[in-house]
Amino acid sequence: MTVVIGFEGSANKIGVGFLPSETAKHHRAVVLTVLREALQQAGLKPADIDCVAYTKGPGMGAPLVTVALVARTVAQLWGKPLLGVNHCIGHIEMGRLVTRANNPTVLYVSGGNTQVIAYSEHRYRIFGETIDIAVGNCLDRFARVIKISNDPSPGYNIEQMAKKGKEFVELPYTVKGMDVSFSGILSYIEDAAHKMLGSGQCTAEDLCFSLQETLFAMLVEITERAMAHCNSQEVLIVGGVGCNLRLQEMMGTMCKERGAHLFATDESFCIDNGAMIAQAGWEMFRSGHVTELPDSWITQRYRTDEVEVTWRD
Amino acid sequence: MTNRIRSLLVPFPSAREANIALQSLLPDREPRKGGISKELSVSDNAMSVKWTADEARILRVSVGSFLDHLALVLETMEEFGPPVTL
Repeated sequence: MTVVIGFEGSANKIGVGFLPSETAKHHRAVVLTVLREALQQAGLKPADIDCVAYTKGPGMGAPLVTVALVARTVAQLWGKPLLGVNHCIGHIEMGRLVTRANNPTVLYVSGGNTQVIAYSEHRYRIFGETIDIAVGNCLDRFARVIKISNDPSPGYNIEQMAKKGKEFVELPYTVKGMDVSFSGILSYIEDAAHKMLGSGQCTAEDLCFSLQETLFAMLVEITERAMAHCNSQEVLIVGGVGCNLRLQEMMGTMCKERGAHLFATDESFCIDNGAMIAQAGWEMFRSGHVTELPDSWITQRYRTDEVEVTWRD
Repeated sequence: MTNRIRSLLVPFPSAREANIALQSLLPDREPRKGGISKELSVSDNAMSVKWTADEARILRVSVGSFLDHLALVLETMEEFGPPVTL
């Protein structure tokens, strides 16, 4: 058995917000403890590990560096090869492993990313993406506007409130070819919230419901179009917003109508984690990749289609 | 304007460990495009760092962030070292 340890440091908002320096401080404070506990829980000694994988990008610079420094140092201390992993590829490979989807059209939806991806000729090619903010960012910022709690997460709370929504408030629907735009919807609903909630024209639950229906319909539309382009009969949803059961349900309905199959995972795999970096690192390692130390710099911008996928036919 | 130069010498238990720290700290470039340069090197069991900067402000940021990174590498070596014999 090959053992790969994965270090994921692109960004994490647990208790620290999205401020790069604060996030880096958080990572700095916990990274060695997390590593020690991971080894203890897995019952592994450094000698049992075959390679060390870490997130090369994309993400915020300072947190990425913090985690990369530890990965580089332990790889050298233990005499193991190092593998710099693209964060988005980590999500895709983890999703493929967990769901056993073979060649899915991938919808990657999180607080920082919104992309429709399909594999072709050794690349994960981006068929469509957001032209401004990510869908998760749109949901989080709306939650803040109408003062929805962050516990356990704003997206989860919007999802629960949306179930109680009764009136659909029409919002802009902004699919542009294969791409989507969310910032205009956010401005519109912010404005609507101030006007309509004050006057009692609708409830916060109605707005949550309307926002989810609109955003997710857009995502389902571009995913379906990518499937038609690629003749694909599989959809895989990854990233934190992929936990949303209403999104899974709407995507499932579309798949059913096309005779296609939907693959989704729960929050234990959707949300950023070290195992997904290890899994993508393992795929890279077994196909002959190694990241030499001088090439192990982190990068805030790192597009999914920059990586040559040598581990697939 | 006169350049501001600072240097730092960090001793390690062995040349091997000094080199590990060097290789961990070298890859990431300075976030700032210009106005500062940083040279790292190892001789025997010590790592030396030399900064050349246009302004004290830029120098302070770079030195501060380097010391944070160095401290993290040292703690990692303390907890997960010493290096295996190759």
